[in-house]
Amino acid sequence: MKTILLVEDDKNQRLLYEQELKRVGYKVVTASDGKEALEKIQEQLPDVVVMDINMPKMDGIEAMGRILSKNKAVPVIINTAYSNYKDSFMSWMADAYVVKSSDLSELKDKIKEVLANKAKDF
Amino acid sequence: MNNDLSKTNSETTINRIGNLLNEYRGVPLDENFLKKIEEICLDLRADSTQKDTEYSEVSKDLKERRKSERRSKDKIIDVIGVGLCLLDRELKITWVNQTLCDWLHLKESPLGKHCHDVYNCDEIGTGSCPAASVFSGKAGSIIETWIESENRDKMCVQHVAIPIRNGEENINSVLILTINSTESEKTVHKLLLLQKLGEAMQGTLHLDKLLHLILTCVTSGYAFGFNRAMLFLVNKEHNVLNGKLAVGPSSHEEANQIWKELSDKYSSLKDIFEELDFSHNIDTSFNTMVKLMVYSLSDTREVVIFCAKEKTPIIIKDAVNDPRVTPEFRKALGVNEFVCVPLIAKNETIGVIVADNIYTAEPISSDHVSMLTMFVNQAAMAIENAETYKRLEDKINQLTETQQRLISSERLAAIGSMSSYVAHEIRNPLVTIGGFAKTLSRFTFTDSKIKTNIDIIIEEVKRLETILKNITDFGKPSTPEKIDTQISEIMESTCMLMENYFQEKNINVHKEFETDEPEIAVDPIQIKQVFLNILMNAVEAMPDGGNLDIKIRSGIESIEIEIVDNGEGISKEVLKNIFNPFFTTKPNGTGAGLAISLKIIEDHGGNVDVKSMPGKGTTMLLTLPVT
Repeated sequence: MKTILLVEDDKNQRLLYEQELKRVGYKVVTASDGKEALEKIQEQLPDVVVMDINMPKMDGIEAMGRILSKNKAVPVIINTAYSNYKDSFMSWMADAYVVKSSDLSELKDKIKEVLANKAKDF
Repeated sequence: MNNDLSKTNSETTINRIGNLLNEYRGVPLDENFLKKIEEICLDLRADSTQKDTEYSEVSKDLKERRKSERRSKDKIIDVIGVGLCLLDRELKITWVNQTLCDWLHLKESPLGKHCHDVYNCDEIGTGSCPAASVFSGKAGSIIETWIESENRDKMCVQHVAIPIRNGEENINSVLILTINSTESEKTVHKLLLLQKLGEAMQGTLHLDKLLHLILTCVTSGYAFGFNRAMLFLVNKEHNVLNGKLAVGPSSHEEANQIWKELSDKYSSLKDIFEELDFSHNIDTSFNTMVKLMVYSLSDTREVVIFCAKEKTPIIIKDAVNDPRVTPEFRKALGVNEFVCVPLIAKNETIGVIVADNIYTAEPISSDHVSMLTMFVNQAAMAIENAETYKRLEDKINQLTETQQRLISSERLAAIGSMSSYVAHEIRNPLVTIGGFAKTLSRFTFTDSKIKTNIDIIIEEVKRLETILKNITDFGKPSTPEKIDTQISEIMESTCMLMENYFQEKNINVHKEFETDEPEIAVDPIQIKQVFLNILMNAVEAMPDGGNLDIKIRSGIESIEIEIVDNGEGISKEVLKNIFNPFFTTKPNGTGAGLAISLKIIEDHGGNVDVKSMPGKGTTMLLTLPVT
């Protein structure tokens, strides 16, 4: 079973993603900000990180930078309400960029894609 | 007559009588003696008659000589061009010369009349009467007045009173010397006029008004009095001398009518400035003709161009036989004598004024031309000022417009960022609501109403999300709708669209397309948008026209589109930024063109490369993959 680290500051959304991704068959670990996400990664290295950008304490971009500087192999999917980060140079480091939607199928597809690519590389 | 001769004659007569008496001493007087005496007497009478006639001739001659002397004195008095008049103590005229009679139009003899009746003088009885003050021993004073001469020319005269003394103390009469000072007065007047016109011109910053004012001064009888005046201005951009404005009647009839009107209308300089109707005379056929006159600045055969190049006034006395005047120009003007004066500002010719006396045929004197030249030099400065002012005004207007646009775009940006913030804040809870509704919809419900209601929630959330997407992703290209197309076809239709624009901007387009270029999957509308953006930029980089090379080459993996212009080029600083959204160097640009172009090409899996040399041109290289 693949592990997903879900970083999301909105409690209700965190619950939604957790439920949905678990239903599809992933193990879901959650963090409510970038700092907590780094701690969770220390405990257990996930197969993929799904990360919001706008978060308190440490935003998604910074957290991603730190994660990637330690673990280059961990794919990161940015999942944000803001489509304009797509043009930001920093977000180009992410493996995928998903604009939040009530329809979670795009996010699920990207996770599948990223995991498949990762499997290919090995 | 010789006195010695007459003396000799009378001596001879006396000797003859003495000799005769000696001869007849003691002889009785006889017929013979008497006869001889008679002979002597006859001789004497003859002699005296001769002398008488001789004497009378002498006196006649003397009289004649005196008369002619007096006549020549009178002539001198008249010829020196000074009016003379003698007044007695009662200020009555005792003598007057012809010149004064002519000047004052005196038909009857003024002798015995009171001086103020003859001179039409208002100074009588006042302290400033020159004659009266001279009689009372004060200095002779001068009064300047304007009188009208017989041929209705205005004449300025000065009266000087000179005391004529009898013995030591007594002044028994006064000589009034009347001097025609019209010429000097005219010179003073013209200098004042030049100054006033100069002031008025410097104060007129509206170019059209100024040009009209200048030509009105040249033609106004009060100022320079030419019949017609034409103004040409140098157009540096096109290297030509352009007819701008002409003032003056188009025909003899019109001339007579206008002059009648004008003489009533403009009696002074002030009137010209205050009542000058700028629309007057504008629609004349003469003005239209001059406005259509254009001469290349390199064509020095034309007298106006020659004048502009030489920077010196040219008086043409006989246009028919003057090699400096082309027959075309002579026919256009329809006059044999005219003057060209260059408008020189800051040592550079900015135009030429041509003036003539077509209706009155009055000869153009060099004095007149030198006055006109002085005036025209001032006019040139004024035109230069007005043009500078106009350029400044245009720049300020442009600046204001840009500022306005900036303010409105800033406002738009503020509204935009506000709405984008709101949209994103709403999107987050919508994701939660919609997402949970979806999870709920997967459950089975006994009441079918619950399922329907959940579906309504899902639908409505979707609708809101679509609205938000449209707001936040505004201006971004929609996903491409790709169809198999030949790139050269899109380029051809783009060029066709821009054909008129190319022509208008003097752009020579060279197309070099491969004939067997493969079709590739692209969104033709988006690619056309890219081509349009790039071609537009290329044309705008060549404001004075130029060459545009468009090449399309196909390789195994990609198709290359090369667009080369020889325009202004892009500086390194600008080149770094050209693909940044909202970066622009154009006053009306949004800065979106190249950014969107790049995005479109990248969405098609291609890329864009730019090379540019400032002053040489720019090369845009687009690559699109062959799918």
